[in-house]
Amino acid sequence: MTPRSSKRKKRGLEEMATNITPMMNLMVVLIPLLLTSAEFVKLSVIELNLPPVERGSEGEMLSQLPEENMKTLDLTVTITDKGFFISSAMAVLAGEQAEEPTIPLIRNADGIFEHDYETLSIKLYEIKQRALGRFPDAEQIIILGEPSIVYQTVISTMDAARFININGRQEALYPNVLLSADIL
Amino acid sequence: MKRKTSESKKHMTGSGQVRLQLTSMMDMFTIILVFLLKTYSTQGQLINPSDDLTLPTSLASKVPEMGLELTVSADWILVNGKPISRTSDALDMSGYIIPDLREELYRYAREAERMESLYGSRFTGRVTIQGDKNLPYRLLMKVMATCGQSRYPNMRLVVYRKDEL
Repeated sequence: MTPRSSKRKKRGLEEMATNITPMMNLMVVLIPLLLTSAEFVKLSVIELNLPPVERGSEGEMLSQLPEENMKTLDLTVTITDKGFFISSAMAVLAGEQAEEPTIPLIRNADGIFEHDYETLSIKLYEIKQRALGRFPDAEQIIILGEPSIVYQTVISTMDAARFININGRQEALYPNVLLSADIL
Repeated sequence: MKRKTSESKKHMTGSGQVRLQLTSMMDMFTIILVFLLKTYSTQGQLINPSDDLTLPTSLASKVPEMGLELTVSADWILVNGKPISRTSDALDMSGYIIPDLREELYRYAREAERMESLYGSRFTGRVTIQGDKNLPYRLLMKVMATCGQSRYPNMRLVVYRKDEL
C-alpha cells in the first residue's frame, strides 16, 4: 500500500515540468529572422514639390509669379549666420535693435552659439494666429538661406516652421515650405 | 538532510540525469521577441542610406517612397549610385544648373517615359535626395534647381527620423 502511493506522487511531479522544447525551437528560428530584418535607423522624407516646368520653357524662373491682385503675406524666414530674420511682403520684423536679426543666436549648453528654433516656432505661431483667414497664403512660408548655411540648419528650420509643440501636442504651422534661392 | 534530497530530485529525470533549467532563458527570449516584433516593419527599407554621408535629423514622419536616387555626398554627386560630378566642381560653378547632372536626369526621364509608353508605369518625376548634413545651402539650391529644371520637380529630402522628446 505504501509503495504504491509514493509512486503516484512521483508521477505527479514529473507531469509538472512542461515540455518547452518546441517553444524553444520557435524562438531560435524567430529571433534571428526578426533581428536580420529589423530597422534600427528610421528614415523619413520631407516632401518638396515644385510647380512642374512646361516643356520648352527652360531657363525661366523657377517659381510662378503670384497673381497681382491678391494681397499675399509672403512670410519669409531668412537664415543668416547671426540668426533668423522674419519678414513679410509688408515689413521686416525687427529685433531688439535695428539691423539685428529678429531672433539672434543663442548659446547652448556647451557654450556654442546656435540657431534658436524654439523661439522661431513661437514667433511664427503668433504670426499665424494673426494672419489666419486674412491672407490666401497663410499656410505657406518661404525659407531663404545665406549661401554658407549648412543643410542641417535648413532642415531644422523647416521643422520649426512646419510644426510647433504646444503642451506636448503637435500643431501644424506652415505645411507648405518653399525654398528660395537668393537673398533678394 | 532529507528535505534537501527531495528538492534536488525535482530536477532529476527517472534515469537520474539532471534536467536543464530553461525558464530564465525563455523569459529572456520572450522579451527579445516582443521587442523585435514591435520594431518590425513589414515595408522594409526602400532607401539605402549611402556610406559616405551623414543625413540630417528631422521631426518629419513621412514614410519614404521609391524614386530616382540622387545622392550628394561631400565628394561626389551620384545618381542611382553612379558618380556624375564632383561636389566641389558643382559648388564653384556659376549659375544654378549643373550641366552633367541635368544631362543624366534627362536620360533617366526619357527612359522612364519610354517605360511609361511601353508598360504603363507612370512617370512621376519623383526624386529622393540624400544630402550630407554639412552641405552648404548654395549647393542644395543648385541641385534642387537642376532637378526642377530636368523634369524631376517632386523632391523628397531624406532625413533620419528624430523621435519626439
